[in-house]
Amino acid sequence: MSVAPENYIALSAVLFFIGVVGVISRRNPLIMLMAVELLFNSANLALVAYARAWANNAGHIFAFLVITVAAAEAAIALAIVAVTFRRTPFVDVDEVSALKG
Amino acid sequence: MIAFWILALLMIASAVFTVTAKKPVYSVVGLLANFVCLAALYLELQAEFLAVIQIVVYSGAILILFVFVIALLSSGVRPFDVGPNRAPHILYPAIVIAVLALAGMTVSALRTPVAVVQLPVGQTGDANAFGSVGNFGTALFTTNLLPFEVTAFILMVAVIGVVLIAGDEDPTTGVVRRRKRPGAREPIVKSEPTIR
Amino acid sequence: MLLYFIWLLPLLGGVLLWAFGPQLKSWAGPIGSALIGVSFAATVVLWNDASAPGGLHVPLVTWLPGWSFGLQLDKLSLIWSLIITGVGFLIHVYSIGYMDGDKAFARFFAYMNFFVFAMMTLVLSDNVVGLLVGWGLVGLASYFLIGFWFEKPSAVAAARKAFVMNVVGDVGLMFAIFLLVQHIGSISYADIFTHFAVLASFSPHVTFLVCLGLFIGCAAKSAQIPLHTWLPDAMEGPTPVSALIHAATMVTAGVYLIARFAPLWSASPDAQQLVGVIGALTAIAGAILGCAQWDIKRILAYSTMSQIGYMIMGVGVGAYQSGVFHFLTHAFFKAQLFLAAGIVIHALANEQDVRRMGGLRTRMPFAFIAIGVGVLAISGVPGFSGFFSKDAVVYGALETGHPWLYAIGVITAGVTAYYMFRLLFLTFFGPYRGDVDPSDLGIRHPELAGIAPASAGRAASSGHHPEEEEPHRHAPSWLMSGPVAILIVPTIFIGFLDWGGANSPWGRFFDGFFPHASEAAAHAPAISEIVSTALVFVVVVIGFAIAFWRYGTTVAQRDAIARLRTESIRMPAVLVNAYYFDAAYEALLVRPARALGGWFDRFVDPHVIDAGVREAAWSAQWLGHLFRSFQTGLVRAYALTLALGVVCIVAYYAFAFTGGVR
Repeated sequence: MSVAPENYIALSAVLFFIGVVGVISRRNPLIMLMAVELLFNSANLALVAYARAWANNAGHIFAFLVITVAAAEAAIALAIVAVTFRRTPFVDVDEVSALKG
Repeated sequence: MIAFWILALLMIASAVFTVTAKKPVYSVVGLLANFVCLAALYLELQAEFLAVIQIVVYSGAILILFVFVIALLSSGVRPFDVGPNRAPHILYPAIVIAVLALAGMTVSALRTPVAVVQLPVGQTGDANAFGSVGNFGTALFTTNLLPFEVTAFILMVAVIGVVLIAGDEDPTTGVVRRRKRPGAREPIVKSEPTIR
Repeated sequence: MLLYFIWLLPLLGGVLLWAFGPQLKSWAGPIGSALIGVSFAATVVLWNDASAPGGLHVPLVTWLPGWSFGLQLDKLSLIWSLIITGVGFLIHVYSIGYMDGDKAFARFFAYMNFFVFAMMTLVLSDNVVGLLVGWGLVGLASYFLIGFWFEKPSAVAAARKAFVMNVVGDVGLMFAIFLLVQHIGSISYADIFTHFAVLASFSPHVTFLVCLGLFIGCAAKSAQIPLHTWLPDAMEGPTPVSALIHAATMVTAGVYLIARFAPLWSASPDAQQLVGVIGALTAIAGAILGCAQWDIKRILAYSTMSQIGYMIMGVGVGAYQSGVFHFLTHAFFKAQLFLAAGIVIHALANEQDVRRMGGLRTRMPFAFIAIGVGVLAISGVPGFSGFFSKDAVVYGALETGHPWLYAIGVITAGVTAYYMFRLLFLTFFGPYRGDVDPSDLGIRHPELAGIAPASAGRAASSGHHPEEEEPHRHAPSWLMSGPVAILIVPTIFIGFLDWGGANSPWGRFFDGFFPHASEAAAHAPAISEIVSTALVFVVVVIGFAIAFWRYGTTVAQRDAIARLRTESIRMPAVLVNAYYFDAAYEALLVRPARALGGWFDRFVDPHVIDAGVREAAWSAQWLGHLFRSFQTGLVRAYALTLALGVVCIVAYYAFAFTGGVR
């Protein structure tokens, strides 16, 4: 492991930062979902880096589970997006406000 | 060493491009670049199987799904992101919170000293080496069999969910069959897109 | 086992008649009576088993150690069972005639059978819990039967009053049982009597409290001062009910209780003293009130109260045998008096006021004989049953060293003779006064005086004899006169069981059954029994003489109307109001309770309870408004909140969780 694990963790944190800003600031649901994927991957990177550092492949297993959940999440979220925005003129999450109290 | 820094820079750049791109298609391209770089980092971290999975599942499956949905939604002349912005200044608290998260993660990473375990040299690519397919598969199907099966169950639930959510359109006529609910708004599918 | 039959047949009858009453119609009475009759026959068959030492004992269920339930038929239970089922059977038969034509004929017999079952539970139980259950059930049955004619508001009020006062007694009994279980750890009589002597030796105050609790139960059930006020009102029930429940059996349950717990009383002289004094006070107070009543049933009710006072006094001073004997004779002569009075009331279309009777000697010779025999018995005329038992009780008080109670007992005997002969003279001698205007007789409020409004109004306005146009009136059928005729025999002769003191059949029967029976003889009475008997007889004759002088002489009979009018008007208020017990309860308990209720209604309910509910609703609404503002419907704001959560988790790991991940 030529690079110290802290570097990987820092990279992971920066990616997470970008993902959070993306999810909150963008109004296009597709781009929001892609930012969510970024969040997943930053977490995965941290898992894999620690797994290597401790030579313990439990981190790999967990990353695998995260990928699976991400796939399920993407499928369902995209289905919701498809169904929701077939009915509205704009592809914009601000338009989806039926839950407003 | 150098490879890590190059890849890191590429990942940050592609991530920024992803969340700032004007059109979702650009975002997909940026995300693709990000995932490929991540797969390379996995390889460097001796997670061979995960690297392959990253390419196949993420780049191959999930991103293609995104592209499909983009194609589906923009098949008309429908513009993105044109409704009234109901939270124009949300970026600032978002950045504050994200910075806080970043700082928290950095602090916790620094306060968690890691003694790196050295792997035996020259065994990369070996069938039972750390991170190889054999090593991963053994762990997945012995110690972690129950989580693996739960994963399968989650995927099945997701499949059923997608069918239920997206399946209320008649495939032959394209007419949306909706149960009438009292007070439900009429769908505005037929109206011309207007710019407000 | 025959014991099960004795116990459960009345219950079977009660359930059967209750469930299928409308189908059984007029068969309900014979069926109910027959079941009680079978129960009586079974009790007679068990005579030998029960009178053996230790009696007959059948365990039923053991729940916990010390908590075993069973049936027990010993000598004491046997006497009560025979009276309950025997006299009960006669009264059932009588009721077939008396209640004939009542629209709730089957319901009446269902209640009566249920009462017999409850009473048998009370006397057959071999443990205090079974006793308490029976105690409560007889109160319930009494409630049902007093309120049997629930269309009458007065009946409903009387039933409620009886129930409430009985519950006061139930609570006292319950506390006594709690104490017994706490200190002895067993509910069975045998264990309690075995271990009670030890308890009494080192904690006399517990002993006293147990006895006090038992006596509160006894006082409420047996109408002892100050819990007696329900009994006169209970006469709102049908007359057979008054005869069975409020004269012969249920009200004497207190006597049973004290006799049953004789070992406990013997261990607590203070409590015994209290019981004796209360019994004597009740005897004299009830007797004096009996002189001031005009309603034939209320006269009998106060005489019941007075006679039970005698019994309580007898068992209270330790003369258990005599007290129980007075119960036995009283059950017969009082049942007979009530049933005979019922015949009179029935014949006069529910007329109960003795001022509106008179001269019935020739029209109802049978009722005259029956009531006459009853009056002779209750007054203690030599040869009749009451003579023996009352004498025994009164002399028992002297024997055990209570001269004051003895004096009260003797005086009460005179008063009893006075008011009973007064009843006899007013009812059966002189001119018939049923067609006289009520106001001429000093009856100011005919409805309140217990006069049936229909007959009173019609008789007063038309001036005819009520029996000429009264559709309900009919001569007593053999169903009604038969039981009364049968009861005359024991009323006269049962007293001879006690002829001869310790060697009498009664003395031999209970020989060694009650504790400290020999200790009574230790006191040397100031006068011998024969002198005492003579003294009582003299007092009785004086009582009779006063009654005769006031109501029986030719002059008195001739001026009866005017005299009754004067007497009604000049009746001392303290007697009319029954010593103001009801007024005192009204002032001390009912009014404060009402005031408290009113205060709760005006203040607590609107300003505490309702306000609490209102404020709770308002807070929920306010919280809802608050949280509603969080629900913006803006997905990105939700995401922001999520991210804030992430920050919190990360902060925890960054600052709080310092031990490292491994």
